[in-house]
Amino acid sequence: MAKTTAELMMEAETLVSYGAVPDRILDDALPDMSWQMSREEFLFRGIGDHLFHYRRGKGITVHRGADADAADESLWLNGSVYAAIASMNGLLPIHASAVATGGSVFAFSGPTGSGKSTLVAALGSRGLPLFCDDTLVLDLSDPDRIMCLPGHKRLKLTSEAFDLAAVTPQERVSPELDKFYAVPASGEVGVALPLAELIFLEEGSDPSITPLSGSERLMRIQDDHYTAQLFATARQFDRAGMFTHLSNMARRIKMSRFVRSMARSRFNESVEIAAHHVNNSVD
Amino acid sequence: MGPITKLSERFTEAAIDDEIVIMRVDTGEFFSLTGTAAATWRLIDGHRNRAVLLSALTDEYSADETAIAADVDEFLAQLKEMGLLAGC
Repeated sequence: MAKTTAELMMEAETLVSYGAVPDRILDDALPDMSWQMSREEFLFRGIGDHLFHYRRGKGITVHRGADADAADESLWLNGSVYAAIASMNGLLPIHASAVATGGSVFAFSGPTGSGKSTLVAALGSRGLPLFCDDTLVLDLSDPDRIMCLPGHKRLKLTSEAFDLAAVTPQERVSPELDKFYAVPASGEVGVALPLAELIFLEEGSDPSITPLSGSERLMRIQDDHYTAQLFATARQFDRAGMFTHLSNMARRIKMSRFVRSMARSRFNESVEIAAHHVNNSVD
Repeated sequence: MGPITKLSERFTEAAIDDEIVIMRVDTGEFFSLTGTAAATWRLIDGHRNRAVLLSALTDEYSADETAIAADVDEFLAQLKEMGLLAGC
């Protein structure tokens, strides 16, 4: 299947080269693990002398100093840097992991630690291929449907999640992070697909998946994840502009809440409910 | 009593499904209107006064005017207190 315009744009804009980069693009100095964004440029500093500079139309230039940790580089490139480039080029990155089936995408969103990655990994063990882990990039340009760009990150799980999701751990993500890469049991979908539903994970003893009302959708699509902050900065929304954006998303995206227990003993029950919901929602 | 007017520079609104979501521009605070509250909000057009508003709601809900008047008055008072309405 031919790649979409958005996929081709992201491929071109995220090409990496190594070389000299500025140490700031705004007036203030840039501390570790922070970023600056202007209309045409984005600069991220990892830890120490490790800088990632993006300029629209020129791709990414990385400066890896002597004290920089190369193991973290792909995390930052695929994390803040990718989300910033997507945002600066009209796409919307959201904090979600997703599976694909029947030609559409079902995404699960929730705060860090809410079990997004573990759930999609477990759904893979029930025949649902992975679409993305942690960040879902949306192309809003078609008024008739919201397209999802295929995932750009490898699936990462904590050590305790591997037993739950019944997948085999690969190498450790980084020395500082208690996470390991995983191979999705049903493989990955690598083509752009329309978004079917965004499902928010909640904890509760009485499991259910229920639709969200209009105002609930508007409230839920707000996020304090770094992807939302990058998008807001890139679009330079004022309060009213952000409200218009959020209300458009609330109108366009089907959203539900998935209440389930976080107890390990009830994990399989949660996965069955999610799998049943996804399989029965396919047109 | 004169016409009731929305102070539109103080808020922005969006209709989502059968709800109206309003955001105060000064605080960023959201609130949602459903049912008769949403219907009342839709009927406030800068021309209708309280009596015409009540009559229209009475027709729409086939309700007794005295039964809904107290609720409508309370709702209008809340909106006025929030600085979203003038003329009531």
